[in-house]
Amino acid sequence: MNPTRRELLAAGAGLALTRCTRTSPLPSAPRNSRVSIVKSPAYTMDVYDNVYRMVAAHNLNVRGKRVVLKPNLVEFDPATAINTHPMVVHAAYETFRRLGAAEVKIAEGPGHRRATLDLADAAGYFQTVPHFEDAFTDLNLDAVSKRVISQPVSQLKSLYLPHTVLDCDLLVSLPKMKTHHWAGATLAMKNLFGLVPGGVYGWPKNVLHWAGIAPSIVDLHRLFPRQFAIVDGIVGMEGNGPIQGTPKNAGVLVAGSDVVAVDATCCRIMAIDPTKIEYLTLARGAENLTDSHFHQIGERIDSVRCPFELIDPWSQWVRA
Amino acid sequence: MTDWKNIQNGDGGWAYNKGCSWTEPTAFVLLAQSATEVDGRSFAAGLKFLRSMQRWDGGWSPQPGVAESTWVTALALLLPEDAIGSVRVTRALQWLENQTGRESSWTERLQRRLAGNKDPSPEGWPWFPGAAAWVIPTSLGILAFERALARRRNSVLRARVEEGRNFLFYRMCADGGWNHGANRALGRDGDSYPETTGIALAALHRAPKSPQIERAKDAARRHLATCRTAEGIAWLRIGLQAHGERVRLEYEPQPRTTQDAALLAIASAPSNPLLS
Repeated sequence: MNPTRRELLAAGAGLALTRCTRTSPLPSAPRNSRVSIVKSPAYTMDVYDNVYRMVAAHNLNVRGKRVVLKPNLVEFDPATAINTHPMVVHAAYETFRRLGAAEVKIAEGPGHRRATLDLADAAGYFQTVPHFEDAFTDLNLDAVSKRVISQPVSQLKSLYLPHTVLDCDLLVSLPKMKTHHWAGATLAMKNLFGLVPGGVYGWPKNVLHWAGIAPSIVDLHRLFPRQFAIVDGIVGMEGNGPIQGTPKNAGVLVAGSDVVAVDATCCRIMAIDPTKIEYLTLARGAENLTDSHFHQIGERIDSVRCPFELIDPWSQWVRA
Repeated sequence: MTDWKNIQNGDGGWAYNKGCSWTEPTAFVLLAQSATEVDGRSFAAGLKFLRSMQRWDGGWSPQPGVAESTWVTALALLLPEDAIGSVRVTRALQWLENQTGRESSWTERLQRRLAGNKDPSPEGWPWFPGAAAWVIPTSLGILAFERALARRRNSVLRARVEEGRNFLFYRMCADGGWNHGANRALGRDGDSYPETTGIALAALHRAPKSPQIERAKDAARRHLATCRTAEGIAWLRIGLQAHGERVRLEYEPQPRTTQDAALLAIASAPSNPLLS
């Protein structure tokens, strides 16, 4: 039997949604942000050029800076589209080095599986990124410091977070474009769950579920004001994502400095109404998620729109 | 054979891979040494670090930068009581006894009952206080309490061991193994993982023989045929050996971390230091 919307919300909030009643601060103001959309039909060498052009178009000043790339590594299944493709990660790595970054690290803390290096190997990262192990940090096992969350939206008051991401100048979220059975869609903001150290909070990082998935996504996002996002939508995942869904050829890369805008744009490409995605509305306010608040660079959304299949009841509820 | 001393940090502890010392790899290296060959000075320094990680509330912190007691308390209790110290062990047992998955609290049970949900939610252990119970911390909690019960009679610890076993059986996947603990989501079965299947099997080594245990052993054998991670293979061997099954490896895994190396050493040892 398919779950109802009510059941989904209740479960998605870690069975504790009703307790997430802390008064939330006002959503951040709209910024008329620029979001890049580039057609990238397959994992070919063109990906390197596409990623470079997208990042360069945003005039990021990364010269001499420490950059951390945060891909989405979830499961051992190279046959499907669970993990961020290694070519997208390598393209971003090369791009930021070419733009003069003093240091580019790749870092991830998977939520279910503990053998992160094996996971990265199975996903093709060792094969694709030269000297991958030297560039990589397992965020589940990194040294940590406590950060207080001021004006939290969730029930979280503080979080221990890895030094690798706390010390960086720019955090680059590199998610896979996927549907998510609890959150609707998992993109650049939800990808930040991987920053929370499993070595402290466990596998899965269940404290986030009890604090409310959507509010926790927003709190984590706000802890990192210097972000950029490049979403791997070349082959995404539709249906029962983020693990049990099916690959979806969307043939697109989406990027920008305003991560909320990037996620809202991805939702539109997936034919999901961003105003129905709780973490986006909490972060920005539904009235600020309309097309007019974002400035698209490159392709228009209509030209790359690719409806992702959704499980019930999301299919009736969030379809744009 | 890993040269544990060579990769030991100055504070006496071990990192997972590189960097600061953590309680978990330190406990597993000490267990590996105790099961194979003890380097006296290295062991003493490791033990000193481990003891320093016990907090005022009796629990253990996972690493020096964390001012919270967590699931790693169970790991410290797997070391010989004489090495840790009986007073420390008593305080740690009390801390662990008070930890349970949030879903087992009376408020959560009441809420579920009012909503018509008859989920029994046997009591397991969480990774972090205030969160739900999951397979790995529950398995380690069972092993820790069994270790303590070998030296003392305690009906409360005995009851928690029983309840922990019930939790594991309740969270068993349809394929007979275990994943992190979500065996079904949105009406769909979850697939089991090698490492969690192995550790749960180890925790059930004193459970009465049953068709469920046989299914779990079948799942472990299936995983062993395809698993390529050192962590997964080590736990599968430990789990199957805990049920009297000697395992011949077709594939020699390469450890990627200190933790992997310690687990492989424990899995290859003539006697398993995790089992009482």
